[in-house]
Amino acid sequence: MKTDARSSTIEFWASLALAIVVAFIIAIWVPGKPDEKVVYAIEYGALVITFLFGFMVLAAIASGKIDISQLLEEKGSAGGGASMSRFQLLIFTFVVAISLLLIVVDVHDFPKAIPTGVLALLGISATTYAVSKGIQVGSDGADDGDGEDGSTPPQGVVTHTTVVAPPEAGGAVTHTTVVTQPPTA
Amino acid sequence: MPSAAELAIWEGVILLFGFIGVVLWKLVTGGISLEYLLYGDARVRRGAPPSTFFSPGRAQMLMMTVIFAGYYLLQVIQDPTHFPDVPDGVLAVLAGSHAVYLGGKAQSLYLGRARDLIALLNRRTP
Repeated sequence: MKTDARSSTIEFWASLALAIVVAFIIAIWVPGKPDEKVVYAIEYGALVITFLFGFMVLAAIASGKIDISQLLEEKGSAGGGASMSRFQLLIFTFVVAISLLLIVVDVHDFPKAIPTGVLALLGISATTYAVSKGIQVGSDGADDGDGEDGSTPPQGVVTHTTVVAPPEAGGAVTHTTVVTQPPTA
Repeated sequence: MPSAAELAIWEGVILLFGFIGVVLWKLVTGGISLEYLLYGDARVRRGAPPSTFFSPGRAQMLMMTVIFAGYYLLQVIQDPTHFPDVPDGVLAVLAGSHAVYLGGKAQSLYLGRARDLIALLNRRTP
């Protein structure tokens, strides 16, 4: 764990140092006016940092350092399987991200407006996820009202006995709980 | 030297398709489990843990999702100058699909499976 954290820190500082080196190279060797060179240095430095940070996260996910194995896991489900709402949200997010990238590559600019249909699409998907969670949690709590996990409480007679020894005997307190099971059919 | 805009576009392409590729790779190899994706939970009886069953609501929602995602991507690929509008009819179908899924989930978790409910009603009918 400590080794992982240390290597992450090293990658972080390496990407930062690389960005600074790129900025210096632009500032010293690239020809042009000083004010333009400052803009270039900041632009390229920011691009290098953004890319290397993104790449660090990507590499960590690929190598398993960042665990995404439970990305689609349905919490609180009896089977503990994959969640349909999460899967759908993942697909729609990828579709909208790819669309945005294709548009930016083609137009060389961000789209002026995002149609309400696209927002409604993501809204429907996210709302379904939230309502689905609500139904899941509600059904866990509203099972029968006698236990948090929906199980029936144990049947039978419970006897609590507390014995306090006299002070001269040490004053020890002994608690005893006996649960008598009813006869099974 | 490439311009900053070109560099930014290539960065976006590499990172976005890298993320998509890693997630797809993990889905295919089982790193992200898709087990029970089409199975839902159903209440069986008072106090008992819920059972798992094949859910038609989930299956239809998966189909609608894949069909709609493909339809939208094809539209963007054909005309990548702007986000294509989503017709109201398609949105209504998608909302209906979600309503069916949520209704089925609520029914199976609160009341039990429809098949069990019908069997119970038949048993109680004199």
